[in-house]
Amino acid sequence: MRSNNVLGFIFAATLDDKIPELASSRTTASVPIGGKYRVIDFDLSNMSNSGVNNVGIVAKSNFQSLMDHVGSGSAYDLSKRRSNLSILPSYDGKAFSSFVETIYNMHGYIEHCREEYVLISQGNVITNIDYTDVFDFHSKKKADITLIYKNHAIPQGYDRPITLDVDDDGKVNQIFVKPGVVDKEAKFNHAYGSILIKKDLLMSEIRNAISVNHLDVRRLLQSGLGKYSIYAYENKGYCAAISSINDYFEFNMDLMKKEVRDELFNPQRPIYTKVRDDAPSRYGLTSNVKNSIIAQGCVINGEVENCVISKGVYVGEGAKLSNCIVMQDTKIGCNTNLNYVIIDKDVTIKDGRSLMGYDSYPIYIAKKSVV
Amino acid sequence: MFPKKEVVAMLLAGGQGSRLGVLTRKLAKPAVPFGGKYRIIDFPLSNCVNSGIDAVGILTQYQPLVLNEYIGNGQPWDLDSMHSGVNCLSPYQAVDGADWYSGTANAIYQNINYIERYNPEYVVILSGDHIYKMDYNKMLDYHKEKNAACTIAVIDVPLEEASRFGILNTNEDGSIYEFEEKPAHPKSTNASMGIYIFSWKELRKYLTEDELKEGSSHDFGKDVLPAMLDAGERMFAYPFEGYWKDVGTIDSLWEANMDLLDPKVTLDLKDIYSRNPMMPPHYVSNEASIQNSLVADGCNVYGNLEFSILFAGVTIGKNATINSSIIMPGAVIEDGAEVQFAIIAENTVVGKNAKVGQKPEEMENLDDWGITVVGANTVIKENTVIKAKTMIDSDTEVDGNEK
Repeated sequence: MRSNNVLGFIFAATLDDKIPELASSRTTASVPIGGKYRVIDFDLSNMSNSGVNNVGIVAKSNFQSLMDHVGSGSAYDLSKRRSNLSILPSYDGKAFSSFVETIYNMHGYIEHCREEYVLISQGNVITNIDYTDVFDFHSKKKADITLIYKNHAIPQGYDRPITLDVDDDGKVNQIFVKPGVVDKEAKFNHAYGSILIKKDLLMSEIRNAISVNHLDVRRLLQSGLGKYSIYAYENKGYCAAISSINDYFEFNMDLMKKEVRDELFNPQRPIYTKVRDDAPSRYGLTSNVKNSIIAQGCVINGEVENCVISKGVYVGEGAKLSNCIVMQDTKIGCNTNLNYVIIDKDVTIKDGRSLMGYDSYPIYIAKKSVV
Repeated sequence: MFPKKEVVAMLLAGGQGSRLGVLTRKLAKPAVPFGGKYRIIDFPLSNCVNSGIDAVGILTQYQPLVLNEYIGNGQPWDLDSMHSGVNCLSPYQAVDGADWYSGTANAIYQNINYIERYNPEYVVILSGDHIYKMDYNKMLDYHKEKNAACTIAVIDVPLEEASRFGILNTNEDGSIYEFEEKPAHPKSTNASMGIYIFSWKELRKYLTEDELKEGSSHDFGKDVLPAMLDAGERMFAYPFEGYWKDVGTIDSLWEANMDLLDPKVTLDLKDIYSRNPMMPPHYVSNEASIQNSLVADGCNVYGNLEFSILFAGVTIGKNATINSSIIMPGAVIEDGAEVQFAIIAENTVVGKNAKVGQKPEEMENLDDWGITVVGANTVIKENTVIKAKTMIDSDTEVDGNEK
């Protein structure tokens, strides 16, 4: 496949300051989601399925759970003679402060790789995209830079989003930063941080930027507009960018929609994840489950409605869960009553407890808590 | 040069399993799906790994494609080590001719070279049609303690069922003095579980002798074990306690699956490894109702489910009813269909409002009742009725409303 000539780069910590609860002990990329996945599973699978066989994950801090999850990359078919997965922590021990500095820090690694192109993506994005289409678009348009965008309302956690004015041919006319619009429903061509670029061009631009101390990637793109041919590829599929705990909640709830599941879990382009040998989930005689996503290894004896229940969760008899996201191996006691609650891993909710959030403000129970 | 192994396991997986009918038409019996995400062979394979046995030969002969593909490099069971692991051993051609495996003992005989590479002290012989969890190490300790040439695992069965099994009659110290195959009047209730440990030197000798014997069927139970007993070898019965079930028939396969739904049954699926399908968690809709069932990843449930097992990627349509049934991977039960006391094999489609299988209470004559089985890749048209105890597959003509 032609796109074997592309080096993948995923930033693991994108917007982790916007989801402090979920990312307190992990990177955004390794936040558990959708019952059995971590956020990064989607883009790692996209890259693997598109023939992007050499992938680097840029890790800032707190990346133990990320390393544990992706391992050697074999779950994504990225640990073969002709494929590779690397975790790239900060080179000099200092955390990265900007995109430009981060890439500059990695120059040794990037230049060492044999691929001619670099595909940069963000660890907070959930979509099922065929990057070979993006590469074909890039070649056909003879573009120097291709930005992938989604036409949607900007998720609330983006402080200074990049939006694009694109002509019918896909050429970018204007690049805006933080449009002065307060309308939350208004849709923009949101460039969410996926960029395809030739490696040499990327590195020369980054070197120039470092030499004149222009560390803002937005400004770099804007100033490149006259110099280079910048194109934009529209991601027409389902695309969620997690930028707040509400986005996180909404994405999980979107999985109840058949069209979203069918698109994200396209059997032609499967989403891979680290395998755990759970038995099929067991429903007891007193279970009553409606409109929910349930992973394997669960025991369900209570009432569950509009919930995402991850692998290995136990729901006791008489428990009532509505609008909850329950992460792996949590135990929900008998006769509990939970509504709009996000419960992290390995939590114990004791018998008879009640917890109520609200749809605009789901409450969060931290990892390993006992309630 | 292979590092020496104390124990090598040989798993007999080549039989046709004809009693499973359409389920094994294009599938070796050990590859038959079980328990919502497993195949039967996952049980002995996981037992091997959990007992620290990492050299396993699988004897294949009948319809090996799916089985070979499933075993692959053995990675799901950690059997992909550098100097050992799992190997599928099929019959082969040699300088002096080629032979199919003519019996269980002959299959091992033809693979003496495979075993000798590891220079083992002991060989464990297993079969691929039993559901159980067992630590073979304990049995090996017993074998060593008794200084036996052969140890056979036995399970205590109810006296009234004993005549369905191979029965071992033993002395007080556990030594075997007699085999009885399906005795009409059993003297004991020690049923052979089809699990043997041999000291390799002895086994090798008896396999070679048996090979030359005129008229031998080259079978462990019929030829090799009696020959050893006649020669006065030390043979012992190892009593096993726990869940064990032979799933060689439709009824026992169905029962063993249903046992997983029974809280009184002690079989725990923890530490049983299998190849995992890459599918999202399952979805249960607003209209659905699920009681006392097992559901695997990738299912979409819009209908009603009780006392049933859904394998990965099964769809149950609206107002469909599934009762006391086993639905294998990728099958689709369309809206309004009714599936009761049935086994629906992989990728089969049960059309709208079709009725497959019957409850025992619906029968006029209980002798006509039994589990209904639909083979893989079958399409059952809308409104079709398929009666109890029927077995059909994609080659069976089903027309009108009756089979």
